[in-house]
Amino acid sequence: MGSPMEMNGGSVIAMTGKDCVAIASDLRLGQQAVGLSADFEKVFPINNQLYVGLPGFATDTYTLREHLRFRVNMYRMKEEREITPKTFAHLLSSTLYEKRFGPYFIEPVIAGIPAPSAIDPDPKPFICNMDTIGCITTPKDFVVAGTATDKLYGVAEGLWEPDLEPEDLFETISQTLLAAVDRDCISGWGAVVHVITKDKIITRHLKGRMD
Amino acid sequence: MSRSYDRALTVFSPDGHLFQVDYAMEAVRRGTCAVGTRGKDVVVLGVEKKSALQLQDPRTVRKVAKLDDHVCLAFAGLTADGRILIDKARVECQSHRLTVEDPVTIEYITKHIAGIQQKYTQSGGVRPFGVSTLVVGFDPNDVKPRLYQTEPSGIYSAWKATAVGRSSKTVREFLEKNYKEDQSRDDTIRLTIKSLLEVVQTGAKNIEITVMESYGKITELKNEEIEEIVKSIEAEKEAEAERKRNRTAAVAQTAAGLGRDPSLVQTGGAGGVDSGAGSTESGHQ
Amino acid sequence: MTECSFGITGKDFVLLASDQSAGRSIIKMKSDENKIRQLSPSLCMAYGGEPGDTENFVDFVERNLRLYQIRHNIELAPAPASAYIRRILAEAIRSRRPYVVSLLLGGYDKIKDESHLYWMDPYGTKVKVPYTANGLGIYVALSTMDKYWYPDITREEAGQLLKRCIDEVKLRLAYQFSFNAVEIDKDGVREYKLDGSA
Repeated sequence: MGSPMEMNGGSVIAMTGKDCVAIASDLRLGQQAVGLSADFEKVFPINNQLYVGLPGFATDTYTLREHLRFRVNMYRMKEEREITPKTFAHLLSSTLYEKRFGPYFIEPVIAGIPAPSAIDPDPKPFICNMDTIGCITTPKDFVVAGTATDKLYGVAEGLWEPDLEPEDLFETISQTLLAAVDRDCISGWGAVVHVITKDKIITRHLKGRMD
Repeated sequence: MSRSYDRALTVFSPDGHLFQVDYAMEAVRRGTCAVGTRGKDVVVLGVEKKSALQLQDPRTVRKVAKLDDHVCLAFAGLTADGRILIDKARVECQSHRLTVEDPVTIEYITKHIAGIQQKYTQSGGVRPFGVSTLVVGFDPNDVKPRLYQTEPSGIYSAWKATAVGRSSKTVREFLEKNYKEDQSRDDTIRLTIKSLLEVVQTGAKNIEITVMESYGKITELKNEEIEEIVKSIEAEKEAEAERKRNRTAAVAQTAAGLGRDPSLVQTGGAGGVDSGAGSTESGHQ
Repeated sequence: MTECSFGITGKDFVLLASDQSAGRSIIKMKSDENKIRQLSPSLCMAYGGEPGDTENFVDFVERNLRLYQIRHNIELAPAPASAYIRRILAEAIRSRRPYVVSLLLGGYDKIKDESHLYWMDPYGTKVKVPYTANGLGIYVALSTMDKYWYPDITREEAGQLLKRCIDEVKLRLAYQFSFNAVEIDKDGVREYKLDGSA
């Protein structure tokens, strides 16, 4: 049967730019080597400025997405404000750690821009990823996850540079993802990219190789 | 804390009463009336509806519930309690199908409902359901209509025709007087409405009728249909009264002709002089 | 895993087909078993997996959907029904006794006037697809479907496509299947005659 992490396939990447972040995923869902769907997005909006990518075991992608939607909606109603990327990261982290000895087979990636506040009037773009039990890593350049992790690291290392403008960031993350998933049998079949800026979100669907 | 037996549910009073159960039955007596009547191959549920407030959606106030394809339930008493009981019964209907692949019989589901009601008279921290129910329907692979009643105490019983709720005694007495075996569909509906009219002053708009004709065949009468039957019943009653008036007048006249005191005859009613005719009249509805 | 089912949607209908064999490993004990269950007026499930688990699971789902219908006086649409079914599977997989059931769920949403088809595995992976296969069918028939399916496919063409898939199964698989099928649309569920596939 193989490991749950490699059962359905799929990859996610997020990158920071100048006052913007981008997050992208491939669209394939398969059962081992057999591809079943080419519109299975693994990146979901949490609010206007925050997205989460949930690559890994597809059933857990769905379960976790529903669970997070519930938790974030409750947070919004109780606190009467939107959840910040950092708070959300810790919410997700503790959700994962709750299942320490029977984990969700998901390696989440988070990307968002925090809203300006009195303490921090000019917040930096936020990206992070974590392992299946919620250990958070917060690099300043890019984060990757999924079955094409190793390839994504290689390409991203070569293509990423600091302070990219939204359109350049879009080009960089798209080329990185498409190049990496072409070398992975169980990722690919097209991609979706979200570029989050202070005042808008750019969402684009990319065509990819269908093999 | 003397007299605490009327507070704590599970404690008997010295004369063997559970007061909370008595109070629950009082709640039932204050609830709107529900009537069930069995005919030859039909069973009819009639309920008294409280008139909806001006801005209220009347469809959301319902007193007859479908438990499964072939079972309906009407209740009198606390509506909120009734809903819980209905839901528990619905779950049992599906659960029964799941475990034995057969629909419930009417007696089975009645027994189940009564069982739940009994449980709430004997456990701690709860109060009884302030609800009496009428459970009607057809058993699977059977053509005989069924009608059962349950009470807050957990008693259940089968009936040809019965009523629960406000003025149920009056209605039941009416049914006892007017029930006939093996009535047709129309006669059964008519009897149900007629009996309800004994206690529902406002007529058709406050009556809801549900008819079950065979396994799975449930129809709810439209307001116009009920209206029509009510009208015909009222016309009949009017004709009846008219005949009675004429007869009394005729009798009075005869009495006067015979030189008796007419006031005597009047107070004595028709039966005084012509008892045979009088009894046929009242017996014929 | 000696099982095989197909689902094909068109704009206003869904075809579900399933093999009819029941048995253990290489032994076939029955070849006229119906493995498509109607769950509500316009929802059907073609199921496979561990026998016993399947029957229990499908009965359970069917009764709960019926309970929903009686409680709320409305049938659960395909999308929420699929979410409910997925949840049962996903919760069971991390329990002491998981259901080993995989299924295709086909239904027609009368409110939105859409046909729906979902693929689900025992882990609770759910995908909404226009056409799909389950069991051994995925290895030999998916490519046939890729080639002939298109969004405006008619019922006749879908029927022919289904026949192609079944023919492919007969040609390429050592195991001999017989099939039955249903058609789901705004009028409900009907048996779909598969000619010459005894």
